Amino acid sequence: MTTTLPEVRIRKGARYWTASFWNMLRFEFTNMRTYLVLTLVIQILMGGGMVYMYGFYFGEISDVVKTYIVTGIPALALIPVGFVLVPSSIMSHKIRDTYDFVWSLPVPRLASAMATFALFTSLAIPGTIVSLLLAHSRYSIELDVSWSIVPAVLLTSFMATSIGFAFAHAIPNPRMTNLITNLIIFLVLLFSPIVVQISQFPQWWATVHRVLPFYHMANVIRAGLSTGLVDNLATSWVILSIWTALSWLLAAWVVGRRR
Amino acid sequence: MTTAAIGVLPAKRQGTDHWIQTYVAMLRWELTNVRLLLPILILAQTISGAGMVFGFGLLIPSVPPRTAAYLVTGAAVITLILVGAAVGPQLVAQQKMEGSYDFMWSLPVPRSASAAAWLTLNVLIGIPGMLAALIAGWIRFDVGFEVTPMVIPAVLLTLATGTLLGYALSHAIPKPEITMLVSQILIFMILGFSPISYPAENMPNWLATAHQYLPFVHMANVVRASLVDGIATDVGHSYLVLAIWSVAAATVSALVLGRRK
Repeated sequence: MTTTLPEVRIRKGARYWTASFWNMLRFEFTNMRTYLVLTLVIQILMGGGMVYMYGFYFGEISDVVKTYIVTGIPALALIPVGFVLVPSSIMSHKIRDTYDFVWSLPVPRLASAMATFALFTSLAIPGTIVSLLLAHSRYSIELDVSWSIVPAVLLTSFMATSIGFAFAHAIPNPRMTNLITNLIIFLVLLFSPIVVQISQFPQWWATVHRVLPFYHMANVIRAGLSTGLVDNLATSWVILSIWTALSWLLAAWVVGRRR
Repeated sequence: MTTAAIGVLPAKRQGTDHWIQTYVAMLRWELTNVRLLLPILILAQTISGAGMVFGFGLLIPSVPPRTAAYLVTGAAVITLILVGAAVGPQLVAQQKMEGSYDFMWSLPVPRSASAAAWLTLNVLIGIPGMLAALIAGWIRFDVGFEVTPMVIPAVLLTLATGTLLGYALSHAIPKPEITMLVSQILIFMILGFSPISYPAENMPNWLATAHQYLPFVHMANVVRASLVDGIATDVGHSYLVLAIWSVAAATVSALVLGRRK
């Protein structure tokens, strides 16, 4: 007896990719819907709350220091989305055992990854704006906003999401991921030149921060909000791009491998 | 059929001896319970104590000796408060989620002995973080400490008030998720919006006034008075406020724990 097997068609092409991208975007959004408000709250606490907190700790400060704080706040508000929320959404899939299910969906993995990036990059925007407004109203510093703020925010948000995505997928144990996100927040809030000038850091620690992404995130955003405070802007763009590319390589390797 | 034993209840155990015995037993119980977590808790406390000193030391544009003294003693006090008000509630929330909470209360020990054991455990977790903050301050800013014997009652009262507050919080709120959330908010409030590590004049007036009625600034005041000279004022008033808060928290805990379900 000979039976003709049904013809297996592999779905591919740009049309299919776009359709899967939209489906995954809807899927991820629905998954995140209960966290939407929480995301905003966390961002406002990290961004807007820190303006007041640093203000209390710093006491009397000059206008330059104030400008540094205000222009550093958007970076501070973007960081928890990429470095905390993205990993914790991936962690929650691992903990609930839905992680393998998501990867078993018949969509290109790149489409799925891109959906995550698109979702979190856009989720991060409202909280960032609210935080900046709060900071601005606290110190009423003259800002000089230029068009470069748009690519600056998009690239930093995209980079933060990519790094969070890559390490959350690469590290199998969710507890380890949790520990790393906590360490990152600690490092960012207390030991990074985001709301202060890098020149007040000891030499060796400033050098470390010229390699890490946080200082450069603050730098490109600061350049979009003020004039005359930022030098070596091109270097910052290059370093942010390198971090994005590296995390994509790591993510591609982790997501693409078969188990 | 043996009916002879029915109707004769064993003697009710009470008295100081029984209390002390159960206290020691509960302390052993609690220590065994957190033995795996204990090194991590102490490490986290140490890192956050020293980290606050070094971190804000990096960020604050200029640190005159008075700011340094505030920062260092404040960091020490914050680690003490965090143990009771944040770590404690999270441990209790964990017991509730694991389902071991009711079992704990079914043990034949006086509840006050159990609470006292809990307090002792918190002292053990809290002291290393405080020392780390003070040592970090000495290394980084060369803060001149003038330690008086009052440091012992000040630290103990601070720890006790914080722990009792956390205790009331975690036992009075039935849902562990809400306890966790409230303790997160408390951490944020204590770290950022309480004049512990910086003078109250850095805050808006209304917030500084509100803090006169909350315990946190008074915790900082009594500990600071015992460690450095010339910053803390009106220490007697602070002791009084702290005493009122700890009695209130203990009363809430006693009411919650004493009722039958």
